[in-house]
Amino acid sequence: MSIRPPTLREKRRYLLARIDPAGTLVEPKDLYYVVYEAVVSLFGDVAAAAMQPSVIAVEKGYALLRCRRGAEREFAIALSTLSAYRDCTVAIRVLAVSGTIESLRERIAALVPQDVALPGQDTGPVQEGTPGTGACGYRFDSLPVDAVVWNGHKVDVIEKGFKNTRRLFLTTEDLEIIHATTIPDGL
Amino acid sequence: MYGYDSIVAADTPAAEVCGITVIPGILLTGIPAKDVQSRVKKCRGTGSVVAVQVGDNGFNRAIAGTTGVHILRGIHAADKRAFDHVAAKIAADNNTALDIDLSVIIFGRGRLRQKAIHRYLDLMILYRRFEFPLTISSSAQSVLGLRAVREVTGLCSLFGMDETDVQAALDGVGRVTDTGESLVKVIS
Repeated sequence: MSIRPPTLREKRRYLLARIDPAGTLVEPKDLYYVVYEAVVSLFGDVAAAAMQPSVIAVEKGYALLRCRRGAEREFAIALSTLSAYRDCTVAIRVLAVSGTIESLRERIAALVPQDVALPGQDTGPVQEGTPGTGACGYRFDSLPVDAVVWNGHKVDVIEKGFKNTRRLFLTTEDLEIIHATTIPDGL
Repeated sequence: MYGYDSIVAADTPAAEVCGITVIPGILLTGIPAKDVQSRVKKCRGTGSVVAVQVGDNGFNRAIAGTTGVHILRGIHAADKRAFDHVAAKIAADNNTALDIDLSVIIFGRGRLRQKAIHRYLDLMILYRRFEFPLTISSSAQSVLGLRAVREVTGLCSLFGMDETDVQAALDGVGRVTDTGESLVKVIS
């Protein structure tokens, strides 16, 4: 099927939304299912079909969403009823609506400080102690470790070293057993 | 950050945190009307916002006319005859607010949310006629349960509240707790 000329294409609007709490790892596909469920639950199948909600991308803790022009207000209302993602409580805060993705990406660039890298990214210079860098100063039971997964309040760390490197999954029980008070505040 | 200058928190002393005024709140649930009156007397002068969970129709009429009760809340879960035009008139005369709890709209799904929206639609009919105060709450237990003013406006539009109504309802706590002592009283 050939692509329609621009004048015959349906107009769309793009929404920029912040995902709270910060650091929540969100898969765009899973977010799409949650968003679609919220829209259908609130407005029904007919309105959802007319609205055509979709998730374009999740970047740096922000989500880029799309809907048909004229339905952005209802879409934002449905997004404010979204409260859970994979058994975690989340909130989607709509920050801006635009006609192009590019302008929303510019807004993200303005919102996200350049020197802070979020989990799953390796862009730009990073601060000391940031997860994923080799320069962090975290210690776990007197062993130097590096944070590899940082999901909200849950942190997975990996033991540093040339050999016998093992991954440590911290649970509440672990922390109680090995006296988690030795972990510095930064972790 | 979300457009509020004060919050009402249950069982919390009055404070000011980061420029946000914390108003202490008291929620009375599951106690008879006579006990409510005695509890309200104890709370008088403490600066607390007193909210009472709605019950049946007779209870609501009695509570709406009780001086010192600021807010009736939980209308979404009440019987459809629990708050009628008589109770609405009493609430308007006594300056008692009806609370719109958005947590049911945000976190509820299916029949629970449909019932809540229906109750609020019914409440708005009485509000337009009698103009009793309204308040809006989110029952948030963390920042994730809070919604910004713009989001609240959107959610309230689901049951026919416009922006003016929402602004008035967000001012509702100040309206019902204002004793009016500083106002000029005309006696003639």
